[in-house]
Amino acid sequence: MNGAGHLRGLKVVDVSDAALAYGGRMLAELGADVVLIEPPEGGRARRVPPLASVASGETVSIHFAFAAAGKRSMTLDASSAEGGELFRRLVSAADVVLAAPADGEPSVLGASFAELQELNPRLVVTALTPFGLRGPNRRWRGSDLVGWAAGGVLPSVGDRDRAPLAPGGGLADMTGATNAVMGTMLALRTRRRTGRGQIVDISRQEAVISVALEAGPHIIMETAAPQTRTGKRRRTVPIGHYRTKDGAVTIVAYMPWQWQALAEWIQEETGNESVTLEVFAGTPVARLPYADAVDLWIEELTTRYGKQEFFEEAQRRGIPASPVNSIADLYEDPHLAATEAWQTVEQPGLGALRYPRPPIRFDGESGTVGLVPTLGEHTEAVLAELGASSGEIAALRSAGVV
Amino acid sequence: MTPGPYPADRADPGEPGAPTAGRFLPLDGIRVIEFGYGIAAPVAARNLGQFGAEVIRVESRRKPDSLRVGGAGWVPQGYDPRVRYDTMPALNFSCAGKKSLGLEIDAEEGYQVLARLVACTDVFITNMSADVLPRLRLRYEDLVALKPDLVYLSMPPFGDDRSPYRAYRTWGQNLSAIAGIDRMVGWPDRDPVQLGIAYPDYISAQAGATAVLAALDHRDETGEGSRIELSQYEMALAAIGPSILELELRGTVPAARGNRFEGWVPHGIYPSRGPDRWVAISVEDDEMWCALCTVPGLEHLSDDTRFDSFDRRTRHHDELDELLCSWTSVRTDREAAAELQLAGVAAFPVFDSYDLLADPHLAARDQFRVLPHARFGLDLTFGQAVVMSETEARYERAAPALGEHSREILRDVGGLGDDEIDRLVLAGVVNEMARPDVHLERPFLHWIPTVMRLPWPASHFDPAAELMHRLEDEMAEEAEGEARGAADVAPPAADDRPATS
Repeated sequence: MNGAGHLRGLKVVDVSDAALAYGGRMLAELGADVVLIEPPEGGRARRVPPLASVASGETVSIHFAFAAAGKRSMTLDASSAEGGELFRRLVSAADVVLAAPADGEPSVLGASFAELQELNPRLVVTALTPFGLRGPNRRWRGSDLVGWAAGGVLPSVGDRDRAPLAPGGGLADMTGATNAVMGTMLALRTRRRTGRGQIVDISRQEAVISVALEAGPHIIMETAAPQTRTGKRRRTVPIGHYRTKDGAVTIVAYMPWQWQALAEWIQEETGNESVTLEVFAGTPVARLPYADAVDLWIEELTTRYGKQEFFEEAQRRGIPASPVNSIADLYEDPHLAATEAWQTVEQPGLGALRYPRPPIRFDGESGTVGLVPTLGEHTEAVLAELGASSGEIAALRSAGVV
Repeated sequence: MTPGPYPADRADPGEPGAPTAGRFLPLDGIRVIEFGYGIAAPVAARNLGQFGAEVIRVESRRKPDSLRVGGAGWVPQGYDPRVRYDTMPALNFSCAGKKSLGLEIDAEEGYQVLARLVACTDVFITNMSADVLPRLRLRYEDLVALKPDLVYLSMPPFGDDRSPYRAYRTWGQNLSAIAGIDRMVGWPDRDPVQLGIAYPDYISAQAGATAVLAALDHRDETGEGSRIELSQYEMALAAIGPSILELELRGTVPAARGNRFEGWVPHGIYPSRGPDRWVAISVEDDEMWCALCTVPGLEHLSDDTRFDSFDRRTRHHDELDELLCSWTSVRTDREAAAELQLAGVAAFPVFDSYDLLADPHLAARDQFRVLPHARFGLDLTFGQAVVMSETEARYERAAPALGEHSREILRDVGGLGDDEIDRLVLAGVVNEMARPDVHLERPFLHWIPTVMRLPWPASHFDPAAELMHRLEDEMAEEAEGEARGAADVAPPAADDRPATS
């Protein structure tokens, strides 16, 4: 099912939350067997917003349709004694547990991490939490937004007259998940040497710091004294969005020669004689005092073009620019079409859905986006793999454990 | 148990779960060559290096990395660029712990030196654009001929030869925009704004390092290497996958909603006391709403019929925001966050860079470190986001100066004799660290030790102004005396365009 398959044979038990859900999917795309454990009435992950109504009239979680692809689903009532016992059997046979304890307590489904490690010393337990499993804030609650706020990124994002802005789309969660997968692989590789698993402790705050060098402490290391905040959310020019006939483009003319190419283009098309003056040349910092004027000059150029058209011409001139695309624009992008970046999957109960292709390709072959499991679809198969007899399975079922 | 108030003391290092130095690092014995630019490849390689790999960064002095060209803001323009190349603090993020080999691979002799090194390396990582690799003979086909079981990771911004954009140049901010990320940042009544961080670079670095780890395990099992390709654009697309499915399943184009998030009410960033100070608040479900209504000063919310169900709270979100604003704006961001967290509500001050450095929680998790640096003596570096219970990441050095380890690498890895190395240096093919006699000091040394409890050296001279004057005096002296320094090093030529960020 999964093309690349380097992780074939790796058994992952996923008892995490929406934030870490993509981590399990990545492992599945690399060939691992990822079993999602859900309570018999269906896990919270199936109700994570945004929601959509599908043809059957059912309401489904769009996030789940994305993040559960390629996983298997097993139901398990962990509050019952048999359910707790069954969970421990699963963990004993697993390589990795993905967990997301909400309260900062290192435990999952009633079992402490220490107990799980005792049951299975080879086990890697990977936890993504708002602030990590140790440190004074370890019990603090979080969210994607709180992750962005705690990561130091936001004071430079947004307009001067309003609150700072955080991005939508769950991107703090996403980097939490990619760091968690990297950590899981590091722990598995350590296990090859030591024979022992360990706990991988990912803090979403630190995951945000790991994607935010530009906003991070390196900025202030430039200065001789701590600066107070001014509410200004712009640092350099031109870096940002400029309007076009049909939307906007972004231009990052960071290197001096990139600015020079842009300035020459502005002069050529708009007849502006000032823009190529020496005073505006150099790195973006040089133009900061003249930001408002320079922005206007740039927009005199960009507004003559459509965004894709401007993008292609700018790139021809060696200027790093790009269109500010909406999600709908992506379907029109010639690169994504030419590189087969989309995969359409017929998802049971959801219909044909177009997904971005798994981005990692091994030896020219990418993984495939798997199917979204229905609730408990693989319960029997997983139990059978654990060595449960059909009688045993029937008993668990009638007791409501699975 | 309820959370402690903010800020709290450092955690007891002896508490359960605190990392202990592991005896093994997962990448012990693995050698990585990084030929990168900006963020994506350098950070992927740094991650591997901090977990045990020996990372050799191959760097051109003629066409240096963007972070080298940038330099620190206080180094005067015109000062010896070979020194400035070592000064940008961001290098400590992208390159901490690496060894730097100054090598011009455009020259045939330089390429031959690289070929010798590739033959005894395990992993090669690059993020050059697809059109650059054939010209430099750095395609998989070129390098696997030198090392049959090589693990090769290529992270171009756009992808392979099929892409109409294969020769395009971009920074991470451009990739955010084209992949639809920027359209998720903004107010409903205004144009979207730029996120301002190179998000696609960083998640590509994390996914790229993950792929290398999977490939190394695969090599251990089968003896086979791997060719890994990861388009940064397509990685960004994967990261906003849920938004793409929103269009697929709902038929609506996802748009920026300010700081609101579907299914969470209230959810936003609220003003607190002080200039440009804010606090983020996220309420996930009914349970957390009830917790919010127990916070002293907010109890009246529970009696308000406008807010007595999720649907009604959603409808009256604006009014709810106003009431929360009047509560947050008379408190500091820290007071507000601590009171909310005590009740079990997700909240946090909107941190800036200073807040990060001064945060006792991050300090307790060793997220900042002071490490040896060839130009500065000691310098500030970042910790790893991957924290493990048994294996502690390796933090030995800050970023290398350009060419700092050239001789050591060529001798110990490349097997070259000192005479041969001298010849290559004279020929300009190999560069060693320039002006090792020039020692600098960060201007922030005058205030940062009061914020952070890290082992900082004593400061020797006055901050930036004096430092700049000292460097300018030095320039004047040199201009009078022998023409050593800036004069013999040309700044990057106009055609030295970056392949990617």
